[in-house]
Order: sequence, then structure tokens, then C-alpha cells
Amino acid sequence: MVLYALRRIPSALVVLFLASVAIFAVLHLAPGNPAVVLAGPDADAVTIAAITHQLGLDRPLPVQYAIWLRGILTGQLGQSYVLGAPIASLIGRGLGNTAQLTGAAVLLAVGLGFAAGTIGATTRSRVVRAAVVTFTTISFAVPTFISGVLLVLVFAVWLRVLPPGGHASLVTDPLGGLRFLILPAVCLALPASAVIARFLQTSLSAVLEDEYIRTARAKGLPAARTLLRHALPNALPPVVTVLGIQIGQLLGGAVIVEAIFAWPGLGQLILQSFVSRDYLVVQDLVLLAVTVFIVFQTLTDIAHAALDPRIRLGS
Amino acid sequence: MASVAHHGPTRAEMLAILGGAALAGLGAPASAAPKRGGVVQIAQVPDVIPSGLFGQNFPNGAIGGLIYNTLTAYDHRTLAPRPQLAKSWDVSRDGTTVTMQLRSDVKFHSGRPFTSDDVVFCIKNMQDPARGSQLRSTASVVTDLSTAGPGEVKLRLAHPVSNLFDLFELMFIVDRESLPDMLAGKSLIGTGAFTWKQWNPGDSVTLARNAAYWKPNRPYLDGVELRIIPQTQALLAALQAQQIQLALGLAPKDVVSLHGNKAFETVVGDTHDAAFYVGSNVNVKPLDRREVRQAVSFAIDRERILKDVFGGLGAAQSVPWPQSSPAYDAGDARRYHFDPDRAKQLLKASGNEKFETSLAINSGLAPASAIAQIVEFNLQQVGITTTTVSFDAAQFIKRLAGGDLPGLWVNVHGFGQMHPATLVVSAFPFNAAKNASNFRDPRYSAAVNEAWTATNDRAERAAYRKVTGVLLEEQFVADCVLTSGTYAGVPAFRDFSYNMYDYLNFDDATLG
Repeated sequence: MVLYALRRIPSALVVLFLASVAIFAVLHLAPGNPAVVLAGPDADAVTIAAITHQLGLDRPLPVQYAIWLRGILTGQLGQSYVLGAPIASLIGRGLGNTAQLTGAAVLLAVGLGFAAGTIGATTRSRVVRAAVVTFTTISFAVPTFISGVLLVLVFAVWLRVLPPGGHASLVTDPLGGLRFLILPAVCLALPASAVIARFLQTSLSAVLEDEYIRTARAKGLPAARTLLRHALPNALPPVVTVLGIQIGQLLGGAVIVEAIFAWPGLGQLILQSFVSRDYLVVQDLVLLAVTVFIVFQTLTDIAHAALDPRIRLGS
Repeated sequence: MASVAHHGPTRAEMLAILGGAALAGLGAPASAAPKRGGVVQIAQVPDVIPSGLFGQNFPNGAIGGLIYNTLTAYDHRTLAPRPQLAKSWDVSRDGTTVTMQLRSDVKFHSGRPFTSDDVVFCIKNMQDPARGSQLRSTASVVTDLSTAGPGEVKLRLAHPVSNLFDLFELMFIVDRESLPDMLAGKSLIGTGAFTWKQWNPGDSVTLARNAAYWKPNRPYLDGVELRIIPQTQALLAALQAQQIQLALGLAPKDVVSLHGNKAFETVVGDTHDAAFYVGSNVNVKPLDRREVRQAVSFAIDRERILKDVFGGLGAAQSVPWPQSSPAYDAGDARRYHFDPDRAKQLLKASGNEKFETSLAINSGLAPASAIAQIVEFNLQQVGITTTTVSFDAAQFIKRLAGGDLPGLWVNVHGFGQMHPATLVVSAFPFNAAKNASNFRDPRYSAAVNEAWTATNDRAERAAYRKVTGVLLEEQFVADCVLTSGTYAGVPAFRDFSYNMYDYLNFDDATLG
């Protein structure tokens, strides 16, 4: 198993290297650069040239690439061209905040999705079923930039029970942090919860029709025990698959939600950095995303190999 | 420096303010004794960019004026400079020597006294192209700087310039010992009313009261927290939920939506510093023809842009100068009005009754898309078919600076509110030597130079007439709507002010 894992490392490094070249090339081929943004719309060519030189952007591209790569390998991510702040601290803060938001959204999506899906599959009440369908349809259909604004209007502007946006540390101010977290997490979780609910409802409804469930009921097993011990576990595989996809989508959706709720996460950072062509920040963030993806892919492959000897023996 | 005491102006009042009328009600002191203490929460959409503090294009006005002082500050109506860190000044008869007396009771936040050496450093710093200041050309006219003790600085100029005090209005006096830290956003040390405490990029900036501020008993506030809310609707919601006490740069239509709500008060600034225009690349046929550019200008329904895009908050006019500018003339301002028939005649006379071109917009400029839709429709009515091309900010500015935007474009420029010479010398769309339109004309260059080097009011006004004449005739920049920054807040927060470039000043502000 260890040998199998070690064999994966060289290919992962090659993928990372190729990804770094692609990221660097694509960004530098895009029109505009941070010097242009820093100089502003009223600037003349002399000013832009001076700022370009100051930032080192007039050096040959291979040299700029080598400097960046050296920085990555030595842990020196450098400073943002536009903001001037150390990139490591920018990413560190943003990463923690985005992880907090998506983590809370995943928990909410799973909770809401499982509740709605289970109720939808087990209820005999048409009204309740219609309510579940309405909830999942609206949650899925309404884009986050609309549901976000609606949530703010209702809970922050009209009822004034939650803040419309912002952020506080869950560590130093748990209650305050939680208050700031609720609305964006709900906004982000709603579409994912709808998908989970739909998949679970369909899967669970099919399982509940199976012979072994009928047998369990005929044996007089309590309904709750039948559901939790026998039906639900067998209905989960398709839901788990879709949950994995939804987590990826939640990370993507966080960009919009972070903007609506002024949540200082990675989504905002990468968006603003790309718009202002803050090359180093975008390069580091995209490379980080690729690294995370490769790590998870590698871990998945290793897990598959652990579960199925044919894979590791075959390789 | 205009002072703003919120009073919830009516639409008519706002228009009066925008029209340059007296700032009725604004600046009135609070009736009771000023209340001390409190941390005011303010918010804006873009994050601050400390490394851009020397330029005039970045959203640093919210903090720059709180941390730093300038040498002088303009009266908003007369553009007469008033003392700040400079107590007094003397300009030689030939306009080539300026001697300034400086305050002796000013200290930087680090505790170091402010001296004439700091002024020397700051002017030299502004001459460095890498600082990105639009006032660089004016700063570069200063060829020699000398000091006579800590309280006096003498500037010798290569030639007289009429806009020197624009430089003193916009140039922050920064601590020369900590410039690298400032550029890196680590520590901003000035002489202003508030000290730099913390910056969380993308989130907030925290400032604290400067207990050793040179203005006695000021500031009243204990601190300022600037929050970054990257979406305008969220900014409005934060104000409506009273999470913040002042929202900066709300869209005009959002400002209008707050009218009549007693919980909020809104003010449109009197700086008139944002002029939206349609530019032409004169290297692109048939925009190389003056008649065609004039036709474009006559085809644009400026009043509709003002009403539909800016909620009526501004002025529809065809010159870049606000009413407060010495270059303003009411007849010039109305020269190009919505006249499709005239536009068609001009197109016919030029032999270009129908043609196609592109209309570029900066997707990062909020009103650009809405303006472009109106312009596109207007131009279609007179036979000009346009294709809207959207560039993100970095692409747009690069093309703008390179003079290679493909046809027409919608953009905004500033500086019309300052001394008129600053617009034509420092704002790239108007620069006589090289501009975004690729327009060059010896008459224009001569008029610009005349305006820049004029040494008396009469000569200045004559030069402005010439500059405005060329601008109106050539229409490589067709100014459409002149508007200002907006301030929306709660009534409890009052008596803040801002300079002619919207640098905030909370010296007298209170949170009741």
C-alpha cells in the first residue's frame, strides 16, 4: 500500500508543474496588468511604465516564472502587487473564513436535505409532500444572489435579528461570529439542500418499496427503526455521490455569497485579484486549488486501492 | 473644505448643490456642545489600496484624509486655498517662486515633528512616476526645493503654473521614515486626526483617535472603522440595518431610494468630480472626422442618461467643468444637447450617413453599461450602428492608456472640479501630448500650455475659453453627465467634511 502511494507522487508533481506553467501563461497572456490598474484610468504611459518596472513586470516571462516558482518552493509567497500585503496572510485569512462558511453550509445542507428528503419520502400527507416539493423547488431555482438579498432584507433590514453582512471570529467572539455566519451559510446551503433532498427522497422512496422493508414491517419492526436501520443506509450511496459534487459547487458558490454578505473569504480575494490582475495572488490561489484537488484525487485513488486489491495489484 | 451636517436635502436642494449653489444647511454646526467619543462605522464597496495613496484613482479617499493632512485645502466655491499644514505662502510676481510658512505644532503619529524637510520629501516623491500621481507633471515643474529652518520651504519652478495649489490640495504629507511600510500597507503614519491601527484586506480598516492632533480638542470621535462591502446592494442593506453610520459611494438610484426616510440622510457632494463621457478614437474612421464626432455628441440624450442612470442627481452638460469652475460657461455647457436632426445633418455633410463602430465599456465601472445602452439606442436613431464591447477594468485601462480602444467608449474622468489646467494637463483623456483619443492639434496644445502657465486671472480665463473652444469643436471627449460622490448616513453622525477630491475629514465629526 505504501509503495502504491509513493508511486503516485511523481505523477502528481508532474501535474502540479504543468498546472503552474499553464496558470502563469494564461494569466500573463490576458490583456492588462497590475501596473495598469495601479496607475488608474487617467494615467499616462510613462507612469504605467515606471510602475511596471517597479513591480518587476518588465522582466522576461521565464525569469518572472522562475522567481515565482522559487518563492513557492521556499515558502516565500511574496506580496500582493496591488494591495501590498503579504500573500501568505491574505490566503491564510481568506482560507479560514471560506472553510468556516462552506463547512457551516455543508452541515446545514445535509441537515435540511436529509430532513426534507426523509419527510418527503415517508409522509402520506399530500400537503406535507407539496410543502417539501415547494421548498426544494424554490431553494434550487432561486439563485443565491436573489435569495441572499431576500434573506438580508427580511432578517437584517425588516426584522433586524441578524446582521446583513460582515464577519467576526468564532474563536474570540463565538456568539457574534455565529450571528454573522447564519445568513450566508443558509443562503449557500439552500440549493445544495434541495439537491440532497431530491436525491434522498427518490432513493428512499425506491428503497421503501423493497421486499426486505416489507418483511421488516411485517415482522412488526417499529417504523423509525425500519427507516433508520434498514432503509436509510441503503438509500445513501447516490446521496453521498451527489453530496461530494455539491461540496465542490458550494466552494464555487461561495464567491457570490461572500460578495453579498461581505464575507472576507477566498472567493472575494480571487475575484478581486483577477480583476486587478494581481498575478501573484491569483497564481498562488489557483495553484493551491489545483494542489488540493490533486491531493484529494490521490487520496481517493489510495482509498480505492485499499478497498479493492485488484487496483493496487493491477498497477 | 465643505462641511456636511446631514440635513436630508430635498431633490431640489440636491440639484441646487450639484448646480454649484451655496451649500445651504451644509456645514452648520451641531446646536448642542459636540459629543465626544464613539467609533463610527463607515463602509464602501472597494478596498483601500495603500500603495495607490499617491495616485488619484483609488478608493483611498475614505482613509487618506483621516490619517494625513495636506498643505492647503480649497474653499469649494471659490477654489481659494486655505491653510492646513502650511500657515501662509507667498508667490513671487513672476510666479516661479513659492515660499511657504509651515505650522510648528504638528507631529507625526510616530512622535516626530513635522518640518520643511517633510514637504521637500513629499514633493520629490510626487515627481517619481512610480508613485502614479496624476499631479506628477505639476510636481515636476518644481526644479529646486530649499528650506530655511524647519518652518519654511521655498519652491522654485521651471515656469509659472496656474494649478500648483491643486498639488498642495491632493498631496498627503506622509512620514518619510516609514514610506516602505506605507506602500506595503503595514503602517500608515501621517499627521492627521486618526492613527492607523489595523487593516484586514477585503474586510476592514481600523483607525484610532490621534490624541496629539495639532487641532485643539479634535477629533471628537474615538475611532473610525471602515468596512469593505463589495456589493452595492449589501452596502445599502448594511446602512438600512444601521450596521454602519455612513455609506460611501452608494449608487445615485440607491441614494434616491432613501429619500423621505427619516432614519437616513443623504448628501450628494459638491465636488462634481465624476464626469461621464463618450470618447472617440480619432484614428478609427469615420471618427477621424470632426463632423462625425459632433454628430455623435448631438445624438446623445444626456438628460435621459441623467434621469435613468443617475436618478437626476447631477448635471447634463457638454463641458467637463462644473459651475464652480472658472472655466464654466452656461452656453458652452448646453452647446451639445439632444438633437437627432442636427446629428443626421452633420453625418450627411460628412458623407457618413450610416456606419458601424464599436462602443467599448469598462465592466468594472458600474453605470457604464446602462449609459452604453442609451447611447447605443440614440446612435441607432441617427444611423450609427454600434456593437457594445465589454472589457474588464485591467483590459479597458490598458487599451485606454494605449489609445487603442476600437471606436467609441464610455468612461468617467475626474479633475474638472480642480483648477482647469489640472484637467487638461493631468487627466489622460485630455492630455494634449498623448491622450486616449489619439487627438493631436497644435491649437489645443498651445491653449493647454497657455492655461497651465497663465499668471493672472485674466490670462487664465482667456486660455480657458480657448481650451473649451477646442474641446467643444473637436469632441474627441463628449462630456455627458457631471455627478458627485454620494454620502448616505444616519442623522446621529454629523459634521464631517471632504476636500475637492473627496478625501474625508472627520476633524469635527460627532456621533450623537
